[in-house]
Amino acid sequence: MKFDLSILAKHIPFLLEGAWLTLQACTLAVIGSLVLGLAVGAMRTSASPLLNRVAAIYVDIFRNIPFIVQLFFFYFGLPEIGIYIDAFTTGVVALSIAGGAFTSDVIRSGILAIDPGVIEAAQVSGLRKSTIFRKIILPIALRASIRPLGSVFINLILTSSILSTITLNELTGSAKIVASNTFRPFEVYFVLLVAYAALTYAVSILIGMLHRHLNRHQQEGAV
Amino acid sequence: MISVSGLRKSFGAATVLDGVDLEIRQGEVVSVLGSSGSGKSTLIRCINGLEKIDAGKITVDGFDVSKPRELSEARKRSGTVFQLFNLYPHMTAVQNIALAPVEVLKVPRKQAETEARELLQSVGLTDRADAYPSQLSGGQRQRVGICRALAMKPSYLLLDEVTSALDPEMTSEVLSILAKLAKGGTTMVFVTHEIEFARSISSRIAFLDKGTLIADLPTEEFFSDKGMALPRVAQFLSKMRKD
Amino acid sequence: MRYGDFTPFDIVLLLQGLGVSLALFVSTALIGLVIGTAWAVIRFYRVPVLMQIVTFVAELLKNSPVLVQLFLVFFGLPAFFKINVTPTEAAVITLSGNSAAFIYVIAVSAIESVGRDQIEAARVFGLTRWQTLRWVIAPQAAAFAIGPLTGLLVNQLQVTSLISVIGVMDLTKVGNILNLRTLKPFLVWTAVGALYYLTAKLVAYAGGRFEKRLRAHTAWRGL
Repeated sequence: MKFDLSILAKHIPFLLEGAWLTLQACTLAVIGSLVLGLAVGAMRTSASPLLNRVAAIYVDIFRNIPFIVQLFFFYFGLPEIGIYIDAFTTGVVALSIAGGAFTSDVIRSGILAIDPGVIEAAQVSGLRKSTIFRKIILPIALRASIRPLGSVFINLILTSSILSTITLNELTGSAKIVASNTFRPFEVYFVLLVAYAALTYAVSILIGMLHRHLNRHQQEGAV
Repeated sequence: MISVSGLRKSFGAATVLDGVDLEIRQGEVVSVLGSSGSGKSTLIRCINGLEKIDAGKITVDGFDVSKPRELSEARKRSGTVFQLFNLYPHMTAVQNIALAPVEVLKVPRKQAETEARELLQSVGLTDRADAYPSQLSGGQRQRVGICRALAMKPSYLLLDEVTSALDPEMTSEVLSILAKLAKGGTTMVFVTHEIEFARSISSRIAFLDKGTLIADLPTEEFFSDKGMALPRVAQFLSKMRKD
Repeated sequence: MRYGDFTPFDIVLLLQGLGVSLALFVSTALIGLVIGTAWAVIRFYRVPVLMQIVTFVAELLKNSPVLVQLFLVFFGLPAFFKINVTPTEAAVITLSGNSAAFIYVIAVSAIESVGRDQIEAARVFGLTRWQTLRWVIAPQAAAFAIGPLTGLLVNQLQVTSLISVIGVMDLTKVGNILNLRTLKPFLVWTAVGALYYLTAKLVAYAGGRFEKRLRAHTAWRGL
């Protein structure tokens, strides 16, 4: 059999629709994971043993159970307790919760790496706890965490392919349809594989640029 | 007035401060001397509430630092300069200085930044105002650190070994600024190893030895027979002078 | 008792599913370890052409979804090469390849951690390339790699759950079946999740134990 990509040409608009859905789901999930990860990361570095414990349990559970099981839990389980949300929303919620666990780990180590003296300086100048968190701890921790956060988000993009198992026709889901319509699964999935790799490669380049931009003042300079 | 009475502080089994009484009135410059490990820095860290005290009482203008409610008032009245500068690495010099005035004193940002630039000008850093800490030398960083503390217009300036991390040239940069402040009437608690400098600017010397204040004398008296009569002080001074 | 209710046999079914997951996890991890290490050795000796191919393939595998890789092998290969690929074969091929790509990365950094000067010293003492690899590099690299490897294995255990999508009767597939039959998603997916969680903890614990032993071993050797 010849390796022929030309037959895919007329399916490109359909595949792009799927890619657009993947992009939407991932963007929302990145925001969701970041919000959740920041909150949980803050809890895990807080002085309260209870908050600490609760946050640690959440991270432990969602890091150690396969995403597809978590997804099915929400997708099949939520209607049972009367919560009816569509596959897209379920997918975004599940991705955010799983991504939040990984994000919080990154944020936590970012916070723990901050020079305690810097925080003490903020404390003695009379800043309130919430102000110290917003203006000092968060910006420093986030700047230091861009690269590991990038890895988490790239993983999120790859994981989003699993949303195709709950009837969502994102990139992988629509590729499945194209594969069965054209009877050319090899070509379709090969292109899909390269497309994901290209996408994550592009994202990793953007992350590298963002990292350098945000930390530009750390490299140059005297001493 | 900063008033410290019966202050005790220990870390685990190690007692660092063992019943310290000290009063610092407005307008005084009090240097705290003592060998390393005598508890000098811990004393400062207790006054600004960074360490919980085990016993005794510390008040700043009547506000008790061990009461969370009063601590913030106490902190508004004192500014701290740290040994390792502790500047906010993600903010420029001006932003470092203006943050607390804007957030705590609710000074309008524009005004706070103008005042920050004026402070920087007074320490000779006009052209470094928009530099980040990583772009500054150690001496420049510490000058920004002093400006940051002064920006809150504190009644008391707490200086914790502010020149220990600097080489001699940078040390003199920073000391000349402190001398100017002392002359201008800023109240200071000055924890240091710079004995000669302490002698030149202080109105009083407090000497800590193993967590106890064994001398609290006017500068003249401390460096005369009265201070020398104390064996630990004499030993300390002769040792420091040899170095 | 209704037809859809749980039966004691369901526990056997779940354990069978767990057995399939574990068997595939262990076998593909071992195959991945062999292939990944071989790739790292190719890279270490800078074998021309092969080295570039290995780097490219590993990057592609690391940066694309396992689900897509699985589809390419299960649907793509039979269609393109006119061969027969069973779900289990597809699972073994895909998971082994994927593990190999990640193990390759760990192995490369582990070998680099040993340091060229030690290797040169060994060569100066007259050890052959193979002896250097076997007696100087391997023991130290293994001690370095075991930590990241444990983390990877916990992750790979979860990745095995994806093979349920192509019909392998693993733990997740059993969950699917029970879910459809009993219509008790919360219970089913909690049980499945708990089994994965416990297994992940076991893997992490075993890795920790092994690391301790390995480090003790190299420390003793160092004296």
